[in-house]
Amino acid sequence: MANVRLEGLNKAYGTIQILRNIDLTIDHGEFVVFVGPSGSGKSTLLRMIGGLEPISGGRLFIDNELVNDVDAADRNLGMVFQSYALYPHMTVRENLAFPLRMAKATKAEIGKRVAEAASLLQIDHLLDRKPRQLSGGQRQRVAIGRAIVREPKVFLFDEPLSNLDTELRVQMRVQIAKLHEQLGNTMIYVTHDQVEAMTMADKIVVLKDGNIEQVGSPHELYHYPASRFVAGFIGSPKMNFLGGHIEAAHETGVEVRLDAGSTVSVPVRPDQLLVGKPITLGIRPDDFSQPAEDKEIALELDVDFVEHLGSVTYIYGNAGKEAVVAKAPRLEPAKRSGKVRLAASPADCHLFTANGKALQRLHAPANWS
Amino acid sequence: MRLNRSGSTNIALNLLVGICALTLAFPLIWILLMSLKQQGEVMAWPPKFIFSPTLENFRVLFDAAQAGATSYGTIKVDFLTPVTNSVAIALGSVFVSMLLGVPAGYVLARRDIPMKEDIAFFILGFRFAPALLVVIPLFNVFQTIGLYDTYLGMIWVYQVVTLPMIVWLSRSYIEDIPKDIEEAAAMDGAKPVRVILHIVLPLLKPGLIGASLLIFLLAWHNFALGLILSSTKAPVTVALLKLLNPGVQFYPVMAAGLVVTMIIPVILIVMGQRHLERGLTFGAVK
Repeated sequence: MANVRLEGLNKAYGTIQILRNIDLTIDHGEFVVFVGPSGSGKSTLLRMIGGLEPISGGRLFIDNELVNDVDAADRNLGMVFQSYALYPHMTVRENLAFPLRMAKATKAEIGKRVAEAASLLQIDHLLDRKPRQLSGGQRQRVAIGRAIVREPKVFLFDEPLSNLDTELRVQMRVQIAKLHEQLGNTMIYVTHDQVEAMTMADKIVVLKDGNIEQVGSPHELYHYPASRFVAGFIGSPKMNFLGGHIEAAHETGVEVRLDAGSTVSVPVRPDQLLVGKPITLGIRPDDFSQPAEDKEIALELDVDFVEHLGSVTYIYGNAGKEAVVAKAPRLEPAKRSGKVRLAASPADCHLFTANGKALQRLHAPANWS
Repeated sequence: MRLNRSGSTNIALNLLVGICALTLAFPLIWILLMSLKQQGEVMAWPPKFIFSPTLENFRVLFDAAQAGATSYGTIKVDFLTPVTNSVAIALGSVFVSMLLGVPAGYVLARRDIPMKEDIAFFILGFRFAPALLVVIPLFNVFQTIGLYDTYLGMIWVYQVVTLPMIVWLSRSYIEDIPKDIEEAAAMDGAKPVRVILHIVLPLLKPGLIGASLLIFLLAWHNFALGLILSSTKAPVTVALLKLLNPGVQFYPVMAAGLVVTMIIPVILIVMGQRHLERGLTFGAVK
């Protein structure tokens, strides 16, 4: 159990810069998720913390100790790999015992700890099997067991659920979150799945092209995305982006004229310099509702396709030239073609400048707790 | 889906396989029969396939005390020494090659070193040159430094034959082991040496058994190096040549020598067949 601190961490392969000046503090006991598209450097960052990739520049502290030049074997971390990486020639029991054997634990100690880990993960009945005789989910649990058995300072998870089918993934997601509650360890988890990030994390680190795009709680990232990239990455279905430009800036917000027609007054911190400049308005599919008098932003949608998910219905269509996804205002089957009028509250809207930066929102969203 | 063939196609195919097998087996069977015949029967025409077998030829081969007196002339052979030599040289070569080649294969498979592919190709390059090309200058060198006709010298020079194979085979086997597994072991607190001892070597075991069989055979069958660089420590392949006596040709004794030479690899192959197949596929099948 420990904190982790990254100070200006760099990674380069030759002249290709993979990670640039990463600063990050992970507190003791936090569940931190690195999320980003492939190639964003999230796995590389995790492997640098683990000691599997050399650090090109900057400093890495684990438990307030500089570990840049400490071998992976001596960092006392536990890691779960995407491929599980179980030792194929050993039984489950031997797999679980391996980290303890390396730590030179006594026979009795090994037996006790293996039994504890096995019962925690409900793999007691599998102890004498070889990895190839296990299902994907069972292998996953053995891999987690092998990581926790030594009671490491920090757990590292490298996309551990991406090889499982959907149902099992949801189960394991819950199980890992529970495990975090039980053990209280610091955990760092890498995924490209924003749903995993949102559901498990205390703190999400969004990475893009080797830079940290934003760090924050799932709620902060969802309601106050710092950039258009984060806004588009977090949340499903994706946020809609509509083109427009700023007509005026007041104390209470800015006036945006949308390319699709209407004008909206969005409560964001105004910036006189932006008047007349192009802007992107972002609105989440879930923030649309029925047209009403007090809603200022109204869109007319040419319906392309309707998706009924049971608890919610999404309408896919076009507003002018721009594709829009919206939650249908009612649950009953929506029209599969024709036009639908939708509206949203300006307070739910986000504004992004041409270079992708978000304008700071002035009001907490209605569902912010 | 199963392929359905007509009966006649099946018979034709089986016949072809049979002809193939017979063609391959015929010389071996012929030699075996020859080694069990008397001198007179060997040259008989038409060849006899039914005769009363004798082990006399094998006795002559190994009975150095009696100086190989046969009923049809004298031949002085001592076949036990070359067999011992061959076993010692081949086993020694395998041992040294494993000791040097597996670590080299590991580095080529796993580490980023400059000019890696060039080094690998250079090592394989020893297999391209005919051994005879190096053997003449080596004769001089060996005589000068006192390695001529020693086990050490023979095992050393046999590395030209065996080491490249082991380096390349073990490299490809190690590349087949997912890197994640080694990294997992490192995360579990294993230092590099223990990763190799506890993880890599156990996983390599089947492949290495196959590879060592393969190079044992290569060493066993080598002729040129032993012919030039040894006399009393000559391997069995060279001893076979010495059976070619000027004057009387002791064909049955030569056949017996061939049978003895073949029997050791055959025993090894039967014992390690499963592994040998893996050795021959060169790690291509995962």
